[in-house]
Amino acid sequence: MLSSFASRLLDALGPDVVRAAPEDLAVYAFDAYSEDKLPSAAIVPHDVREVAIAVRIARECGEPIVPRGAGTGLCGGAVPSRGGLVVSFARMNRIVELDVRNRRARVQPGLINLDLSAAIAGAGIFYAPDPSSQKISTIGGNVGTNAGGPHCLSYGTTTNHVLGLEYVDADGGLHHTSIDDAGYDLTGVLVGSEGTLGIVTEVDVRLMKLPEAVRVCVAAFADVESASEAVSAIIGAGIVPTALEIMDALITRAVEAHYHAGYPENAGAVLLAEIAGSHDDVAAGEAAIAAIAREHGALSWRAARDQRERDALWAARKGAAGAIGRIAPNYYIQDACVPRTRLPEVMHAIDAIARDHQLPVGNVFHAGDGNLHPLLIFDRRERRQVEAVVSAGTEILRTCIAMGGTISGEHGIGYEKRETLSLVFSPDDLAAMGRVRDVFDPMRAFNPDKIFPSGAMCGEVGTPPSARRTATA
Amino acid sequence: MIAKRNDALRLGTLSPARVLEPADAAEMAAALAASAAAGESVVLHGGGTLQRSANPPARYDSALLTTRLVAVHEYEPRDLTIGTGAGMTLATLQRTLAAQRQFLPLDAPLPARATIGGTLAAGWAGPRRATYGRARDLLIGATVALTDGTLAVCGGMVVKNVTGYDLGKLYVGSHGTLGAIVRANFKVLPAPAARQLAVATFEDDNRERVLAHVGAMTVPPVALLIRDGFLALRDAPRPEDIDFRPQIVALFEGSETTVDRAVREYRSALGAAGVAETRILTAAAAGSGFQEVLDEYVALAGAVSFTLLGRGKPADATLRAERARATFASGGAGATSIETIADLLTGDVVARVRAPATLDAQTLAGAGAAVRSALGRAQLIAAHDAAITHVDAWGETPSTIATMRALKERFDPRNVLAPGRFVGAI
Repeated sequence: MLSSFASRLLDALGPDVVRAAPEDLAVYAFDAYSEDKLPSAAIVPHDVREVAIAVRIARECGEPIVPRGAGTGLCGGAVPSRGGLVVSFARMNRIVELDVRNRRARVQPGLINLDLSAAIAGAGIFYAPDPSSQKISTIGGNVGTNAGGPHCLSYGTTTNHVLGLEYVDADGGLHHTSIDDAGYDLTGVLVGSEGTLGIVTEVDVRLMKLPEAVRVCVAAFADVESASEAVSAIIGAGIVPTALEIMDALITRAVEAHYHAGYPENAGAVLLAEIAGSHDDVAAGEAAIAAIAREHGALSWRAARDQRERDALWAARKGAAGAIGRIAPNYYIQDACVPRTRLPEVMHAIDAIARDHQLPVGNVFHAGDGNLHPLLIFDRRERRQVEAVVSAGTEILRTCIAMGGTISGEHGIGYEKRETLSLVFSPDDLAAMGRVRDVFDPMRAFNPDKIFPSGAMCGEVGTPPSARRTATA
Repeated sequence: MIAKRNDALRLGTLSPARVLEPADAAEMAAALAASAAAGESVVLHGGGTLQRSANPPARYDSALLTTRLVAVHEYEPRDLTIGTGAGMTLATLQRTLAAQRQFLPLDAPLPARATIGGTLAAGWAGPRRATYGRARDLLIGATVALTDGTLAVCGGMVVKNVTGYDLGKLYVGSHGTLGAIVRANFKVLPAPAARQLAVATFEDDNRERVLAHVGAMTVPPVALLIRDGFLALRDAPRPEDIDFRPQIVALFEGSETTVDRAVREYRSALGAAGVAETRILTAAAAGSGFQEVLDEYVALAGAVSFTLLGRGKPADATLRAERARATFASGGAGATSIETIADLLTGDVVARVRAPATLDAQTLAGAGAAVRSALGRAQLIAAHDAAITHVDAWGETPSTIATMRALKERFDPRNVLAPGRFVGAI
């Protein structure tokens, strides 16, 4: 028996677009976070017109609306926690317009991140934001979370590469924004708003010229602390390469076992550095970084010889979270950010927190940005371990905040961290954000239960994390 | 709090009844709350360098100065981040950073007067943004005083942050209509080891060749501008040097070897296009030469002038500049002359229109409309008082204006912050 909401959607958009049977809705119930909830209906629209129609029907029926990309989000941002309508962009995945001369493209939100760069590589240009999930995650989802990735260090995150948007508002109205228009920067406000302000249906992106030269280097260290000290020293010396990544021993072993990319398997920690620019700058940059790494105890230094080796190192790094699946029953990946000088200290603290909770921890992170991803390994069948993970996760976030950092560098707040948000922001800070929400979505129809604390303030992480389904560090 | 009357803060035809200089963020918030409670309108002032890039206010009871908000709140050079008061001038900020061999790649005219808060509020985005990003991209956190007397923080001191809404983007470019920026945090960069400015004059009929050769360079400059009608940049202009031929200006920044190579390549590209001489300024001279060009963006000229900045695609920047100049080719619309700067990397086109003092309001408004239609999306960035009352600062109202009005209403329900200055009479 169909709900009247599903019937109205079917009448308006037909069975090709609308999903209403529970077995068809199961795939829209979860993302890479642990919670799940079946929506009342889902649509897989062909175009913005169908999105607008569905939004209007959902509003008339009082159903909440949750936009969905590939569902790789780690914080429950795409989980329809109150049921309602899920809008999947699986079909809206085209490059609408490519303007090579002006280095910009207009794309649909369902376009897979890597497909964009692959499609334009021949023109000597690329799309810079490259979250580790880029093989499956979509531009629309990346816009929702303001996704980062290893190369943010010099290129910035998604928001620095979005020039304008098309979005559907809470009344089903269609709008266009551009950062070049007069008036408030609605584009900048919408990026990173996790689907709580509107449904993005088209994205204008900035493309960049491929650098003349690229070099990817790998250094082995005795431990994470010394590798972190090397990273703090590189940034402190005024060198900003395109990427500076660290993997600890646990992660490196798992990654090598899976990918055989050429990482030093017996190292206590591995530093992956990418330098891009002119031939001269790349050579000089490598020499400077290698010297600092050696001063801080690098045991070895190796540069990838060609693009094939570079690609293999990156593929393995971006697949790190997935590789952990080989050695761990379940893991919980945390995301936080600290000022770069605090890296050695925070890594030491994370190690102590994990030991206190008797949890194995792996670290794979964007060290150059101070963006941490500790992976806590546990078995979800052991209740005490689940509790330990929740408690350790919160303690890590509190530690990062105490060091002048924040609770999410790139994964977003979503459902998972919404109660934690008030550890970072005061009620006045949150009220200012609430004003923006009031304007775009006064009825809280878009992605309810996300980003903002539930009201009864607690400041504790309330929801137990458990298995991660997808590899997206 | 010091209160003094000051006619120098006049905007359009209005002068403020009161001038307030809050000593810190809390006083700023209290001043806004008091104004809102009394229903008195407030205009924020930094260095005043871009005050004429918005319409004159409809009401103007108080001027609120950020002059005293000049503290360096946090600066850990090894983190490449800095947090300062909004009233600090850009020159002071750059000096603070330069002592640690760092810089904030934010172009702005008149940095000795321009403040951080004012530059952000005006949404200024200069030529080097093609390489380094806009002010909105460099800002990592902010504290803003709101009309309910609260201080709202967004972002933080880390370079990657998706914690809550990115409200810094909302305040940048809001021209003081939503709140008062009292503190700004930026990510900064190591200062480039080398900087060179290449300046070359070319013949007008050689324009296509110059563009083609420069467009084929492999190591791009960080700024590339074609100036038309402006007096050529010279060390010490003498009357016999006056030269109004088009000029191409390129700024190169980076390592010594790469900048040397880029400049060599650039010179030979211009040489191949038939340009006889390219003058190269290095180090501090390159910086001050480039600053001179930036200062020109907001410089007033003659009896009455106004300057519009149009945004668009880089590939058609020279075409839009040409169209703007063609508007006055036959002395059209009564203006005496027009000067343009076409930014080949960002697509910006700047057009300064000079008019005689005798020009009537209608003709002046017509000149503004004509240049606007040539430039595309264009905002006023500078104007004599005689022009600003007749040339709207914003031009076309964006289609999202209803959302913008609702944001204004929600942040400033009594409409006391810079009423009437913003787009769509916000």
